[in-house]
Amino acid sequence: MAAYLTRRIFKGLLTIFASVTITFFILRLMPADPVALVVDPKMGLEAQAAMKAKFGLDKPILEQYAIFIGNLIQGDMGVSFKTRQPVMAVIQEKMPWTLLLLIIVVTLSLLVGIPVGVRAAKRPNKGFDRFVSLLTMFSISIFIPFLSFAFLYLLAYYLKLLPTGGAYTPPPADGLTYYKDVARHAVLPSLVLFINNVATIILYTRNSMQDVLKEDYIRTAYSKGWNEKYVTRVHGLKNALIPTITVTGLMISSLIGGAVMTETVFAWPGVGRLIYDSVSALDYPVLQGAFLILSATVVVTSILSDLIIAWLDPRIRLG
Amino acid sequence: MPGLLEFNNYSMGFLNDEGQVINMMDNVSFAVQEGRAVGIVGESGCGKSMTTLSIMRLLPNNAVVQGGVINFQGTNLLALSQESMEEIRGKDIAMIFQEPMTSLNPVLSIGFQIGETLQRHQPALSKAEIKEKVIEQLRMVGIPNPEKRYSQFPHQFSGGMRQRVMIAMATICHPKILIADEPTTALDVTIQAQVLDLMSKLKVNGSLMLITHNLGIVVEICDDVVVMYAGRVVESGSMVEIFDHPTHPYTRGLFAAIPTLTHNQDELYTIPGSVPVSTKFLPGCRFAPRCTQAMEHCYTQVPPERELSPSHLVNCWLEFEQRGEG
Ligand SMILES: Nc1ncnc2c1ncn2[C@@H]1O[C@H](COP(=O)(O)OP(=O)(O)OP(=O)(O)O)[C@@H](O)[C@H]1O
Ligand code: SF4
Ligand SMILES: [Mg+2]
Repeated sequence: MAAYLTRRIFKGLLTIFASVTITFFILRLMPADPVALVVDPKMGLEAQAAMKAKFGLDKPILEQYAIFIGNLIQGDMGVSFKTRQPVMAVIQEKMPWTLLLLIIVVTLSLLVGIPVGVRAAKRPNKGFDRFVSLLTMFSISIFIPFLSFAFLYLLAYYLKLLPTGGAYTPPPADGLTYYKDVARHAVLPSLVLFINNVATIILYTRNSMQDVLKEDYIRTAYSKGWNEKYVTRVHGLKNALIPTITVTGLMISSLIGGAVMTETVFAWPGVGRLIYDSVSALDYPVLQGAFLILSATVVVTSILSDLIIAWLDPRIRLG
Repeated sequence: MPGLLEFNNYSMGFLNDEGQVINMMDNVSFAVQEGRAVGIVGESGCGKSMTTLSIMRLLPNNAVVQGGVINFQGTNLLALSQESMEEIRGKDIAMIFQEPMTSLNPVLSIGFQIGETLQRHQPALSKAEIKEKVIEQLRMVGIPNPEKRYSQFPHQFSGGMRQRVMIAMATICHPKILIADEPTTALDVTIQAQVLDLMSKLKVNGSLMLITHNLGIVVEICDDVVVMYAGRVVESGSMVEIFDHPTHPYTRGLFAAIPTLTHNQDELYTIPGSVPVSTKFLPGCRFAPRCTQAMEHCYTQVPPERELSPSHLVNCWLEFEQRGEG
């Protein structure tokens, strides 16, 4: 198990490294010139050169890369071209918002999706299962941007039930009022993402539970005299959850990948929105940092989901 | 004499895609007497497993009971409520399944899975008491190092060891009847002998219903024999009767197919053909297409049941000599 974990973490670090490298070169190879943005043309030539040197933009690209990696290893992600704030500080401010939305959506999807999937699996092709299948099919195939705008229009503009964007009403209030305000702002983006993701959880849980309930060991459990409720919970769930955990990991990755879109539409002040803003500003260090933190989150998620699966399944745990 | 467990004209079938029920088991009647071991023999597809699953009421979802009763201690199991049936399973009637590799839950420990039977039927027992009993039971079925094995998982056990675990699980509540569905087919020969040994040792208190297509096993363990073909009982009686006077053409075919040391056959005899699937059953004798003595009416009319002696029944159109008391 220790060897497995070490291997897994090493692979994760490699993935992060690869992603950082790819982002670095893609950004440098973009046709736009960040120097023009950093350096004020009204400055004297000397001052311009000093400015370039300060950001390391005067050096050849490979050397820039080496310096960048060197700094990164020491925990220094550089300074924003735009705001001159340390990138670390910018990310530290934005990341909690992205995580907040992520945690709300994933928790709700699991809390609702697993019981619904299990219940649908118990009576395949009966009323409840049919109804759930129809609903999940609809929510999986629906185009998220469309859903976002439809909800925004209906609930925010038309009915004025919810705020149209942001994470709180500025200036931030104190104590409980602040949390309530944030919660109100989180409803719309969470709802849109929940509708899509809960469907995935339901679908996977239902299908795997249906398969598990056909297994011979389920019949063995009944042969000992246990009732359906116990057999499903004790013998079915642990096995059926394995695919659900895997898909939850993938779901988190795709939520992170989709963060730019969601956070932009709902003006949610997270890392996705930060990426959107930084692209228009050609703010390389911030983009670099944002992609790094997102790929690290994806890697950590996948290690966590593998660990949970190993914990559930002794065949993996004990090798 | 009423048996501990009795099938009376029991019929079941399967629902097909068109919503029709295709009959599989037809008018099955036989009894398992208190304290005796009954062997159910027949080739693959004869309905042996459906017989056992019918008793447990654990038939596949598309199975339909078409009629008859299955009495256990005088009560019809088929008429019991779900809750009463659950009360009987594992406590009075326990079962060992045909597939030792898939019948245990891969993610739960062996100890937990055996303990579950006790936990269900003796809820007053504490966790520690259950564990103690389970370890004792593991030792009984010949699993070395039971304390350590207790917390291990199915994939850490060989096929033979898993079948011992299944036996431990099925016998821990001392059931009145133990049903073993081909408990040894998946195992190699030396392990088979050990497992059978264990089963005959454990059966002393209760009845045993042993499903097999190995007649050698029947001789060693069973007191009575039921021969099934394509969902019907074709011959039944005491082991001695059936072995001394195999009468039904199918039974005789099965005996001829046993390899023996005395008959130095170059090639082992097999009954030509195979068991038909239930959609291809004939209205008359289901064995007729493979029977060398088949007559015209065999194909169209269900053969009658004849009593050759008080402990020997056969279902066939042929004329047989009656014998007196076995
Ligand atoms: N779910 C099902 N739907 C339709 N037919 C089935 C189903 N399960 C079993 N059967 C059929 O019922 C017949 C009897 O099956 P059964 O499992 O009782 O045979 P068996 O005597 O136990 O054979 P084996 O020695 O191979 O275990 C077979 O023809 C089988 O194909
Ligand atoms: S009834 Fe006819 S076909 Fe069937 S076993 Fe007897 S002789 Fe053969
Ligand atoms: Mg079978």
